[in-house]
Amino acid sequence: MNSNVICLSHISFGSKKRPILDDISFTLKPGHFMGIIGPNGAGKSTILTVMTGLIQPSHGRVDLFDTCLTRFNRHQLLKKVGYLHQLHNAEPHMPLTVRDVVAMGLSQYARPLWQRMGKASQHQAAIEKALKHVDMLDFMPHDFRYLSGGQRQRVRLARALVRQPQLLLLDEPSAALDSQQQQNLYLLLRKLCDEQKMTIIMVEHDIAAITGHVDSVACLNRSIHHHAMKGEQIPEDVWHQMYGEHIHVVAHDTSCIGCHHD
Amino acid sequence: MWSLTIQVVLVVIMIEIIQQFFASTVMQETLPSALFIAVVSSSISVMVLAHRLSFLTVGVSHASLAGLGLAVTFSLPLLPTATAFCVGIALLLASLPKKQGITEDTGTGLLFAGSMALGIILMSRASRNEVDLFGLLFGNILTVTNSEWHWLLFIGTVIMVVFIWMARAWWSIAFDATTALASGLPVAALNLCLYGTVGLAVVMCVKLAGIVLTTGLMVLPATCAWFWGRSLMSLWIMSMLIALTATMLGLFISYTYDWPSGATIVLTLCMIFMISWGATWRTQQHRR
Repeated sequence: MNSNVICLSHISFGSKKRPILDDISFTLKPGHFMGIIGPNGAGKSTILTVMTGLIQPSHGRVDLFDTCLTRFNRHQLLKKVGYLHQLHNAEPHMPLTVRDVVAMGLSQYARPLWQRMGKASQHQAAIEKALKHVDMLDFMPHDFRYLSGGQRQRVRLARALVRQPQLLLLDEPSAALDSQQQQNLYLLLRKLCDEQKMTIIMVEHDIAAITGHVDSVACLNRSIHHHAMKGEQIPEDVWHQMYGEHIHVVAHDTSCIGCHHD
Repeated sequence: MWSLTIQVVLVVIMIEIIQQFFASTVMQETLPSALFIAVVSSSISVMVLAHRLSFLTVGVSHASLAGLGLAVTFSLPLLPTATAFCVGIALLLASLPKKQGITEDTGTGLLFAGSMALGIILMSRASRNEVDLFGLLFGNILTVTNSEWHWLLFIGTVIMVVFIWMARAWWSIAFDATTALASGLPVAALNLCLYGTVGLAVVMCVKLAGIVLTTGLMVLPATCAWFWGRSLMSLWIMSMLIALTATMLGLFISYTYDWPSGATIVLTLCMIFMISWGATWRTQQHRR
């Protein structure tokens, strides 16, 4: 259990003059839940795509499960990684049931048609479990095209969960979710970290919503300005570095009227 | 009493015509190849629709004119040269610099016109009896020679094997390419295979339906199935059944009324499309 799930060392991306990511390093252990926050264009999504090997960093290296990620082993390493990306602008145009969409998350899905997808009952159980996690089990035989935006988002999350990844990368997973579902989502992620020792990295823009659930928060704007552990205050100058001088930092505590405390 | 007699007479005439249809030597030679092409093109058409490649099929089918022109000019074997040329064009389209803003439809339009121009020039140099231009444009399945049939059988088998091998991966890429890539699929290589396979399938269809009508065979079967199917498997099977039905029916009608075979098959497919649309229109209204 002492092994690292993910280790980024000195990651840079983009040109030297205007880097998108600049010298980013951190290491996460199993069961850690990290939130990444930052302004628009801070490179939040880029850092996730670097971790999945979709783009090559200009400098630095990514280690997944103590193995250096390269073009040749990414196929093997990424079997243990679930990824939910942010691009959901395209309307689905293919007839697909919710079950099929989730099945696509299984690494056995892309096998030739003459091979059955391994043990069908085992896969069925995995699909049902993933859909149960996101509270969409009743929709399994439904056509994906006729779901609402929030329901689709939950099905996509189930697709990322179905392979039971050891590392889950989420790019604004709460987009299109109502506040109730958003809370359910964070509670689910917390549970996955605690019970299954899943490591989760989640990009969010709403820091207030996630602080109660995550183990640490990384403040990203090209470089990581601060990596705060749970319960730690993020210093005011970090906010100013990230968002500029025009922000007013309000500290929340239990007496704050506008906040919910569970 | 009279109406019954008329019905019996009509049925007897129908049976007579159908028997003639199957007994005629032309149809005995044509039917297997036409049905084989139907199976192959309808399978690929599912992927053409999923990946929105219908314009690619237009481009590649027109590019086959240049391929045939080259074959005639340098007296190479016709179908193999056309096949190689079409696959080459399809792969060229797959590797266009999309990041620089040359999108697929732009590239297709460009190569489509370019190869058509090349084809026209080459064809104009060839003597008239060397090239059956009418057959090339509108299809002529009735004159499949033995060597052509073997060639069709060969590339058709290749297409089907590749299709069955990669269908689910292609399906998953069509739905969400980013996630497919992130889950470790070699998306670029798979896309290249898809374009090449579509190119091959187009060459087969050109023999049946001609350059102008090929897109009909490559798009319509799956489009009809799109109204009914719910998954990759059901779409595939339905698409094949629709193409087989339309080919049988189309050839039968073309035999009975002496209509051009390729055009009749495409028109039959269009009819099935209209019927499918009409039949599912009400349920669609209800769902939205």
